Amino acid sequence: MIGSPDGRPRTRQTIARDVPEFDVHDLDQPTRAALAELLVTIADDEFVLGFWDSEWTGIAPMLEEDVAFSSLAQDEIGHARVLYEMIARLTGGDADDIAFGRPAEAYRHCRLVDHPRTDWAFSVCRRWLYDLADSIRLSALARSSFRPLADVVAKIRREETYHLMHMDAWMRRLASSGLDSRVRAKEALDTLWVDASTPFARLPDEALLIAAGILEGPLDGLADRHRDMATDFLRELDLQPLGAPSGTGGRQRPPVSTSFAWLWNEFTMVRRQDETATW
Amino acid sequence: MTGSRGSQAPPLEGRHEDAGRLGDGAQPDIWEVFRQEKDGDPLRHAGNVKAPDADLATHYARELFGRRQESVRLWVVPRSAIRDLSDPDLLQPPLDRSFKKPGGYVMRDKLAAARRRTEGQGS
Repeated sequence: MIGSPDGRPRTRQTIARDVPEFDVHDLDQPTRAALAELLVTIADDEFVLGFWDSEWTGIAPMLEEDVAFSSLAQDEIGHARVLYEMIARLTGGDADDIAFGRPAEAYRHCRLVDHPRTDWAFSVCRRWLYDLADSIRLSALARSSFRPLADVVAKIRREETYHLMHMDAWMRRLASSGLDSRVRAKEALDTLWVDASTPFARLPDEALLIAAGILEGPLDGLADRHRDMATDFLRELDLQPLGAPSGTGGRQRPPVSTSFAWLWNEFTMVRRQDETATW
Repeated sequence: MTGSRGSQAPPLEGRHEDAGRLGDGAQPDIWEVFRQEKDGDPLRHAGNVKAPDADLATHYARELFGRRQESVRLWVVPRSAIRDLSDPDLLQPPLDRSFKKPGGYVMRDKLAAARRRTEGQGS
């Protein structure tokens, strides 16, 4: 939390630097609200996954991967930070309040990232499914007519491309490293597959964003591409998951899952000790 | 990671076929990483990473030696590709070699004289 006790806007230069200047009045109020809604879903996906994956810090299978996976997790939290800052600009709020100040039931992350860390194969498979979805979502957003968003997304994509390469390499390791890792990967995929399309959950006011050119088309129109790409890759590894993705719903809450309630408690713990503290 | 020369026994009497034998397929290979801090700088040895293949070695090198934007270029080299040369007969031969060093020419007095001359002509 970046605070000033006198209640002035709590904005840090290093955050603001990544968000291009824009005039919020370029968008009408309903479109602004719809855009904030879109951004908070993406930011929450990144934020929640970042915190889940950072739970591997210190206990990943090997030192190099420990550092790398933690760094990837930090990258996701960094992407969330930029998006929360953009939301704060749109809504006149504060990025840290949005990130850490909401009750657990207000987070809008998709079901794919609503599972606990589980075992290493599970975290790798989830991360890979998510990074693939994220790359597809970001490439659509990079074509947004809302320039500040397209600019921010262009920067995020440069890191995400690398994340996906890293996870592709790990999926190949799991598939080729013996029976135990194959079995665990298969179990993880069977559990996760039903939620694989949830990053593309349709938003209530999506039509406003499409009308304004902020989105090219409905988000769930991207789900097929994700499923096809994932299926092709998994077939190559002989790791086809059971069943079919259950569709793109899955940002609706409550109830809050037990695992997310635990995670929320973890990542808000320090702030809740003293919400007025200046860091 | 391993220590730069760390856990590996020193090569025996310059038999460099023993160097870089850590990667036998079962154990992850060791990759030596060199990094360039800014354009135009020499590549300097940064350390090493353990990784089962070149792709992951590249990712690990990036995370361990580049995630804080401290590098503009990395070289990732399988240790097995490095010829380890430490044979004392080649590098520290026993006979007196002082005649190969650029010593023996005492420049101090000549330099001082040259400085005096140029100061005399100077501005």
